[in-house]
Amino acid sequence: MTHHFSEDELTLYYYGEGRRRHDVERHLESCAACSTTYREIAGTLAMIAAPEVPERGDQYGLEVWQRIRHKLPERESGFSRFSRFWGFSGFSGFSEFPRFGVAAATALLMIAAFIGGRVWQQRSAAPAVTTATNLENREHPANLGSANSANQILLTSVADHLDQSERVLTDIMNAPRGDISAEQRWANDLLDASRLYRQDAVDAGERSVAAILDDLERSLIEIVNSPSKISAADLEQIRRRIDAASLLFKVRVMSDELRKREDAPDRSTPRSSTSTRVTS
Amino acid sequence: MDATEAAAVLARARQGDSDAFRALVEQHSRSVFRLAYRMTGNEQDAEDVVQESFLRAYRQLGRFESRANFGTWLYRIVSNCSVDLMRSKQARHDQVRGDSLDEGAQELPAADVPGPERMAQSAEIDRRVRHALQELSPLERAAFTLRHYEGRSIDEISATLGLGTSAAKHSVFRAVKKLRIALAPLRSQES
Repeated sequence: MTHHFSEDELTLYYYGEGRRRHDVERHLESCAACSTTYREIAGTLAMIAAPEVPERGDQYGLEVWQRIRHKLPERESGFSRFSRFWGFSGFSGFSEFPRFGVAAATALLMIAAFIGGRVWQQRSAAPAVTTATNLENREHPANLGSANSANQILLTSVADHLDQSERVLTDIMNAPRGDISAEQRWANDLLDASRLYRQDAVDAGERSVAAILDDLERSLIEIVNSPSKISAADLEQIRRRIDAASLLFKVRVMSDELRKREDAPDRSTPRSSTSTRVTS
Repeated sequence: MDATEAAAVLARARQGDSDAFRALVEQHSRSVFRLAYRMTGNEQDAEDVVQESFLRAYRQLGRFESRANFGTWLYRIVSNCSVDLMRSKQARHDQVRGDSLDEGAQELPAADVPGPERMAQSAEIDRRVRHALQELSPLERAAFTLRHYEGRSIDEISATLGLGTSAAKHSVFRAVKKLRIALAPLRSQES
């Protein structure tokens, strides 16, 4: 009885793999069915030529470095991470500290206010969600699991969304030239999602998340509505507003926090649910 | 950069020297972009993958074994970043992606393939191929890219994507099957 070769075996043969290459070769010479199948596979794969990769110039490595250098904090100490975030990558010792002292102090105050605000929001969120509906829905044993998993999905989606938004904002902060059309398209894609997530966050009692998404939305709108061929002055203004709101920092911190909550499912219960248990 | 110099740069980068890491970024960016573009088929996505890959590499550099090859290690990171990006896009922007890429390509009957002009025909093939590739799952696409464009063996694909040999093989097989079905109308035009 003739042993026919499967499509998978013939695919491997096409790619020069498989253990019985010699057997396949001999079989293809004598078996019309397998030979037809092989021709089909080979014909299809021959159509798929490698795509032409867009050219990247000699300076591309440098461009990539410029884009990522502000995002390399994880292996560094706290202060260098902080100083790099604020663009103080040139900081090399105490002699330079006075130059940046005022800006650093301002930044510290903003961060303290931001973190303080979030702590306050966490506490103040507790009574707000102790509503009859939330209690009924979330405290019911049958609903706890689904509420948690829904919240988990929201956390994951928002964290991804914040990561993408961070990239757009970083690109805007580092855009080397006056054409921001690519960033605008990207920001536009994120804008609708941002609105939906903000609403979901409000519904889930995630007030601090909603607040950041609200800030983010404003910046995205500003980016989308700016002229594509933006003047250096206008671009600088957008950057200043992003800076003034500490938006990149907030987005990054929130994203990190959401990731931590994702990784710790037991503690990932929405604040609202936790608070209902405590207060009831 | 010769081998000794490269090893020294890598050692400095592993110790947290950002200038050394910068040298690695500058040295590898173009090849990383090339792989990312082949994997994702999209310039903007490829740029995202380039950035994310270097950030991931930086974070994981402490875990990199100095006797291993940095290029191979980075190649693995880029492949996996590409899969992650395609997965996240597929999960959240399925509809958007489907609309933006070659709208209506599936509805185009074989008879509408532009006639004798070679240029038009090859553009049509290219369009359908790209569309068919976009229809693959992220893992299938990654495995297929590594096998078909990058010439990697099944064992290498398995190591790169962190899959078992059988899973790597079947990802390639599924991709080829789907592509055969999607491109069948073109094949009949050609024959």
